[in-house]
Amino acid sequence: MNLSAAEQRILDGEEGEGARKALELVVALGKIYGAEDLVPITSAHLSGVSYKTIGDGGIVYLEHVSQGAKVRVPSTLNPSGMDSVRWREMGVSEEFAAKQLHIIDLYGSMGVETSCSCTPYLAGNLPRKGDHVAWAESSALSMVNSMVGARTNREGGPGALAAAIVGRTANYGLHLKENRSPTVVVEADIDGSLFSHSLLGQAVGSRIGNGIPYFRGIRPDWEEAKIMAAAMAASGAVAMFHVEDHTPESSEHSTEGLEVINIGDEELKDAHESLSVVEDVELIAFGCPHLSMREVREMAYYLEGKVKKSDVKVWFCTSRQVRDALPKEVATLERFGTVLADTCMVVTPVEGLYERSASDSAKACNYLPTLCSQKVRCDSFQTLMEVVM
Amino acid sequence: MIINGRAIASGRAEAEVLVLNEDFSFLGGVDTATGELRVGEGNISGRMFAFRRGKGSTVGSYTIFDLKTKNLAPAGIINATAETIVTTGAVIADIPLVDGIDIDALRSGDRAIIDGDSGTLELPDLELREVVSGIVRRGDDILLLRRSDEESHFPRMWGGASGLMEAGEGPEDAASRELLEETQIDARPTLIGRSFLIRGDGIIWKVHPVLFEADDEPTLNWEHCDYRWVSPADSAGMDTVPRLNEVLVRLGL
Repeated sequence: MNLSAAEQRILDGEEGEGARKALELVVALGKIYGAEDLVPITSAHLSGVSYKTIGDGGIVYLEHVSQGAKVRVPSTLNPSGMDSVRWREMGVSEEFAAKQLHIIDLYGSMGVETSCSCTPYLAGNLPRKGDHVAWAESSALSMVNSMVGARTNREGGPGALAAAIVGRTANYGLHLKENRSPTVVVEADIDGSLFSHSLLGQAVGSRIGNGIPYFRGIRPDWEEAKIMAAAMAASGAVAMFHVEDHTPESSEHSTEGLEVINIGDEELKDAHESLSVVEDVELIAFGCPHLSMREVREMAYYLEGKVKKSDVKVWFCTSRQVRDALPKEVATLERFGTVLADTCMVVTPVEGLYERSASDSAKACNYLPTLCSQKVRCDSFQTLMEVVM
Repeated sequence: MIINGRAIASGRAEAEVLVLNEDFSFLGGVDTATGELRVGEGNISGRMFAFRRGKGSTVGSYTIFDLKTKNLAPAGIINATAETIVTTGAVIADIPLVDGIDIDALRSGDRAIIDGDSGTLELPDLELREVVSGIVRRGDDILLLRRSDEESHFPRMWGGASGLMEAGEGPEDAASRELLEETQIDARPTLIGRSFLIRGDGIIWKVHPVLFEADDEPTLNWEHCDYRWVSPADSAGMDTVPRLNEVLVRLGL
């Protein structure tokens, strides 16, 4: 691999052992994928935050790495295993909470912003078109690749952290324009609701795996795009998509000769049935990915004046920034459930609390059965809220 | 003998090989209190752990680091193909990693030395023998030769024109020489396929697939007793030398 003089200096240990080790990891990962050089990044987003997913091995690693390293670019964290403030209300144990707070402190000591969200692009970490970044979190990296035109591969937790520490990542895959072309055209015929975008993502991801779809027939806003991107990354491994006449790079590539797949009512119905296996649930969770400010406002508007009549638990998961910014709307939602920040239903220890849960997010409904041993129901916000009213 | 692979994670390690000829997930695949494998047999601690490719949860990277802090990690890792999870774990835990190695050629118990900076695997107790396997194509058919009873290796089996490479000889020259000796066909190769390894007792054979295009009928010497022009697909039903199919695949046949 071709390294610049500055990179070689880091690799020679002249900027400390932490930076040397981080660069070694960035270079090793680049070698696997045939990268010829490294590219400077403008931001990083790190996964590997929840104690539930990284375990004690992860803590030992972070304790080690945080001794001698600081991040060089603005870096944000993915959701953790609990609300940093309201974890007792969630039923999280003292032991879990202590370890979780320790993990977040370790990231904080390296200079990482410690509010934990899967929508950092809505909370201050928004790259610009053409920026190279190193992002983990499959839905967020798909959003910045697609809706912004920034460039990132699907980074893993330690790789993204290493990239943040040295301010560089390996230049291969989606960092190169030639790898950002669509691989399949999707003619979408959906009703345009938020939930139909969730199911569209599920249907497309399960069909195309790690391809790059080029959509016709939709014009998703950020909320619709994020639930669709999340679903495509969970049911497949989609890291980028284009929407005709809508996303910033859609006009830069040809779709000539690409396979065309049609997704309509029938495909959405199949996707819905494949995800939704139970009727009665104990927990209903929204906010996968985290609810935006607009979503919280719209939910509050919808719920204003209505009354909850069931003891089914409801979680509204969002970022700390949104929860702090909208106290009045949050108070309305709190009459129906708990507004949680810094966490979500997938990375928190739900399995110890409930057995049957529901969400409007196809991503959540993909992971709740495997990561949280849940039997799942997948339906729209309105349909699920009618259950409790 | 020395095999050239690809340098992934730096450092040098010498240890006894433990082979798991499949894809492997560190999360769930190994008991982190003992280093004992949960899939397959053996303990990876201090061994040269050879498996095809990493798979499974990304938490596997931390599992490798965790094993290292408990002194239960492998001394080195050999992969057919490195991927993100194991590479990450190897780098953060300072475990040398070399990939691009045919795991099939290794046996548990082999003594091995890997160098994660040059990408080499040294097997000091094994001898390397480089052989050529020459296939002549005529239209859609290929020429297969039946080895005579006098041959010490694989008598009566069908194969290409083959033999040991001599000192200083490349696969092109060796294959042309063997072809001329064994069939009287005088030709130069049109394609050299990627080589692969076959394991024997105390020996590893490095096989170089070589393709010729020729119309001539062969004139056999003592090494063979029969020949046939067959389609590559038909060769699958014949009693062939080991991994002849691999030779054909690597020549695009």
